[in-house]
Amino acid sequence: MSRRVSSGLHREIPSTSIHQRCIIDSATLSTHDTMKTSISALASFASLVSSARLLLQIPTTHLVNPSTLPSTTHATLQSSGLPLDTYLTRSNTFNFNNVSAGSYLATVHCRDFAFEPLRIDVSVEEAVEGSGEMKEVIRAWQTFLGNDWDNKGESRGEGGNGLVIEARPVGQKWFYQERQGFSPLSFLKNPMILMAVVSMGLIFGMPKLMENMDPEMKQEFEEMQKNGVMGSGTTNTAQQLQNFDLASWMAGKTDSGSAVARAPSPAGQAKKR
Amino acid sequence: MRLHAALAFAACLAPAAAIFEDDAYHIDFHYALLGLPKHEATFFQKPYAGSKASLLYSISQNQTIGAVNPKDGALVWRQHFPSEPRGRGHLRSGHEQDIVISAIGERITAWSASDGRLVWETTVGSAVVEDLEILEQEDGMTINEAKDVIVLLADSSNSVKRLDGKTGRAKWTFEDTSGDAPFQVSTSPTAIYYIALHTPRLGGSKLRVTSLSPVTGKKFDQYTLNSDAEISSRDRILFAGANTAAPLLAWTDKANKVLKVSIIGTKSVATFSTPADEIVESIVLHAPNHVNSLTHFLVEYQTTVGHSAEVYHVDLKTSTISKAYSLPELTSKGTFTTSTSDANVYFTRITEDEITVFSSVSHGVLGRWHVKRSSALAGAYPVHGQSEVVVKSGAASAVRSAILYSNGQWALLRNDELVWTRPEFLSGTVSAVWAGLPEQEALAQALAEESHRNPVSAYIHRVQRHIQDIKYLPAWVQSIPPRLLGSVLGKSKDTTVDDIQQDTFGFHKLVIVATETGRLAALDVGSRGKVMWNMDLSQFAPDTSFKTPTLKAHSGYVEVRDPSFQGSLFINSTTGGLLSSNSIKTHVPLVSEGQDLVSFTLVDGTLKGFLESQPTSKPVWSFAPAGGERIVSYTARPVVDPVASIGKVLGDRRVLYKYLNPNLVLVTAVVDSTRTASVYLLDSASGQLIHTLSHNDVDTSRPIPATISENWFTYALTIDAASGASSRGYQLVVSDLYESPLPDDRGPLGDTSNSSTVQPSGSKGDAVKPYVLSQSYQVPAEITHMAVTQTKQGITSRELLVTVPSINSIIGIPRSFIDPRRPIGRDPNAQEQLEGLMKYHPLINFDPKWHLTHKYEVLGIKDIITSESGIESTSLVFAYGLDIFGTRVAPSFAFDILGKGFNKISMLLTVVGLFVGVLFVAPLVRRKQINAMWTI
Repeated sequence: MSRRVSSGLHREIPSTSIHQRCIIDSATLSTHDTMKTSISALASFASLVSSARLLLQIPTTHLVNPSTLPSTTHATLQSSGLPLDTYLTRSNTFNFNNVSAGSYLATVHCRDFAFEPLRIDVSVEEAVEGSGEMKEVIRAWQTFLGNDWDNKGESRGEGGNGLVIEARPVGQKWFYQERQGFSPLSFLKNPMILMAVVSMGLIFGMPKLMENMDPEMKQEFEEMQKNGVMGSGTTNTAQQLQNFDLASWMAGKTDSGSAVARAPSPAGQAKKR
Repeated sequence: MRLHAALAFAACLAPAAAIFEDDAYHIDFHYALLGLPKHEATFFQKPYAGSKASLLYSISQNQTIGAVNPKDGALVWRQHFPSEPRGRGHLRSGHEQDIVISAIGERITAWSASDGRLVWETTVGSAVVEDLEILEQEDGMTINEAKDVIVLLADSSNSVKRLDGKTGRAKWTFEDTSGDAPFQVSTSPTAIYYIALHTPRLGGSKLRVTSLSPVTGKKFDQYTLNSDAEISSRDRILFAGANTAAPLLAWTDKANKVLKVSIIGTKSVATFSTPADEIVESIVLHAPNHVNSLTHFLVEYQTTVGHSAEVYHVDLKTSTISKAYSLPELTSKGTFTTSTSDANVYFTRITEDEITVFSSVSHGVLGRWHVKRSSALAGAYPVHGQSEVVVKSGAASAVRSAILYSNGQWALLRNDELVWTRPEFLSGTVSAVWAGLPEQEALAQALAEESHRNPVSAYIHRVQRHIQDIKYLPAWVQSIPPRLLGSVLGKSKDTTVDDIQQDTFGFHKLVIVATETGRLAALDVGSRGKVMWNMDLSQFAPDTSFKTPTLKAHSGYVEVRDPSFQGSLFINSTTGGLLSSNSIKTHVPLVSEGQDLVSFTLVDGTLKGFLESQPTSKPVWSFAPAGGERIVSYTARPVVDPVASIGKVLGDRRVLYKYLNPNLVLVTAVVDSTRTASVYLLDSASGQLIHTLSHNDVDTSRPIPATISENWFTYALTIDAASGASSRGYQLVVSDLYESPLPDDRGPLGDTSNSSTVQPSGSKGDAVKPYVLSQSYQVPAEITHMAVTQTKQGITSRELLVTVPSINSIIGIPRSFIDPRRPIGRDPNAQEQLEGLMKYHPLINFDPKWHLTHKYEVLGIKDIITSESGIESTSLVFAYGLDIFGTRVAPSFAFDILGKGFNKISMLLTVVGLFVGVLFVAPLVRRKQINAMWTI
């Protein structure tokens, strides 16, 4: 009985998808995977074989000390029908006995931490080619939810009965939302407040500035104000911006003269008059 | 562009309103329940040798194992087996061991006593564990290491096994092929006794006792006791005691007239007659279960009005049993508990108002306490319990007892005071409804009365009502200062609400729950699930047992129905009192002239619609799925489902009109052989099929939850691996219904001038078919139940609430994440971004911030119900089953209420600061204004 099946067979769009819109992302399918195990072929072995035994172990990492996990932490192997379910033991492992041949989605369910999902295939193979002696083989890979089932990730172990597979945590679960408290700084950062502060500064600061100017400057300034330079100046700059000749500026026209000359010209003329 | 996408994504992430840390444990509540504890499998025990404090271990009638801290009643750990068939559960623990061992069905499991971690587990195939005992002594020596376990298994033939206490592996097996009914195993220092019932075809049962060698499991001896005159059924055997120095076997006859006791291992039977002057209803035998204790036991006789007891001593040398003393009969219900200290045995008598401690040696009272009355235990009597007694110099100085009361409360009494109660009766909740509060109803009634009078009398009535209301004014004025202070200082009074009262925001809503034991209770969701009242339904219908009561809420009362009860009971929702059906104003549903109500139900696998006025007539319509499909469930759109907008505004300001048929029914049907599932959308008024969806490779043995709300429906399924589906795991399918695929188009309704999908019955002909848009997603775990949040006006966006049993959580998925209009394979364009749509991704990961239950672990949820609150932003959520959980959610944030984050003190300080600033600036401004006037 050949266990290897040509890899094209299982490249179909998930048959549970009900609409064209729910195509599961299969672009990243790995095509060079030679160990493409036919699930249906595996299922047919189920009758032949007794069962396999495997262990999922939570390693001690900087992220989590597995001894502190709650006792409701459990792991499931899901394939068809009721999933195999086992609780976390005192030695931080999940013991699965009597796993029949098949391809399983292994998930560790924990209140406080998220764990990476695994694909675990259990099959029965001949120990030595042609010897006729059958032996359980367990293979484990990373898997990615929302992807094609044949799209496996890094291998997480391969071996016979009693294989120990690491179940790695990927992160702690944070349930709570931070409340943004009232702080004077964030209040001041508000653009409306900033604008108000700046205009306040101008209103109060300008007379002070004027007073501190030396009399000549002050006189000149007052004259300018009388002539409406200050008043028209702003509209002028706006005009200037509107009339900005992008093409000539891009062409590298030496222009500061002309541009500046052109802009204040009305004012200058007015002065001359 | 990428930045745009990132911004859009962030914008979409933001509405996922999570729970604030300071709101958690305040706005929500959780009863982590075990169920009614079993008498023989509940005990005080130190979690490990040398521990100072002991925990209270129990296995409940619904086979949940747990450890409770006797100090405050908090759950230390628990394990629940949802898939086990209902059978007998066993829980035992050896003296000075750090494990407790449970047996449920075919699983024998050892748990770490301090934290509930699994130590070892064995399954015994198709057999069922009938009994479980710990081997305390071997060859007369106490075992100090892991103590072995003796189990009695019932299968086609019975067997006794000795399991290694460290690993759970079998050391030996004794097979019994005689065909007797297995009863119990019992251990003694020298032998293991296997007790079976030998029942000939005619007559009563004989007790057959087989003694086995603890070391090899070989049969030593076997004898039969002539008990066939008395034992007509199993429940006549009162006691088959284990782990006492002299294991006892006691039984009685059908009329409770005679008590027979035999010491296991001897063939002699001692016969005693029960008190003759009273009719004994039941006999309970209490014996210490400690190996080194005195061999004394107490027999409790319960009569219809009270109880009495007799204490017996066993003389081991002569193997005789003699009566030592008797305790007087009391005309109140009560129970006895046994406790040991060294070799001494103490019996504690617990009645409704008194606790008395006796020594087993003499009838002198060692201690007596009067129990203080408490509202939680009002009208209830003790059913069974466990005690720990401290005896100093011949007097009991302290006693604590964990007692199950007849109203389903599990309570701990320390001397005379009630330390805690656990409402374990709520663990079997089968039905729950929201009920309004009385004030609301009374005002509504008064207003309705006024509206039916002529204007003058209505005005007089109103003035009178207002004058009457003036009497509440002084109290209200008095309550203002503390309320203001409390509000400013941030002291929330939520937790100190004592009686049912109306609150400003409508968070205080009553939920009436009915349990499978026939109890009815009311919980206030706003004050953390406080039990307002709790009563037994069978007091109103003495000869009915309410197993699956269903509830229906009306204004001010609930209607209780049960398959085993003719008609219905009407219960006042605020007091729990029975209302006679005459005093109830039946509300006629609003049906206009010429319209009929159609009700539908599932009959023999076919959904049939009947006219409400003629329920016995021929069905108006019937629906049976094709091709051998089996209807699994059906869900209708909620009766009250307000929708704020009849259309969905697109990014370019055009409108997609929603299909808002109020008569939608979603039917799920499966074919087991081909592993397919179909979903049918029906119009319940006409029975017409509106839409069908079908799936292959579905695990039909797993639940397919579904729900329908507004203009969308959703369901979840498990993919079956057997046929080699190319994806694996669990799927969530969401469908939106629109009147037309085109914006600004009302589809077939466009031509008619006066029609609406909201009132399809008004339109002529068949119901209009919607345009259906579907998307499916993968979810990381199985979903078993679904519900949708409800708000007052339906303006707030909805949230899909799902129960995920594998992580013991209830999760709220925001509607924007399951919008079927999410663009596939491309980033959303500018208009779609305006709508808040994000790119389709096949996986919806359960964000921890979506967990409504946060750190709570909510087990065995059967259903979730939601209700509107007084404010638009917030929906109330209540989940029931084994556990009870309640919270409130604000899917679009609490936009109409100030949260705890609003610092009232700093606001006041800001106002004061601004005022002071104005005081300073005012003279300056005035002077400047005057100066300005003078200079011009």
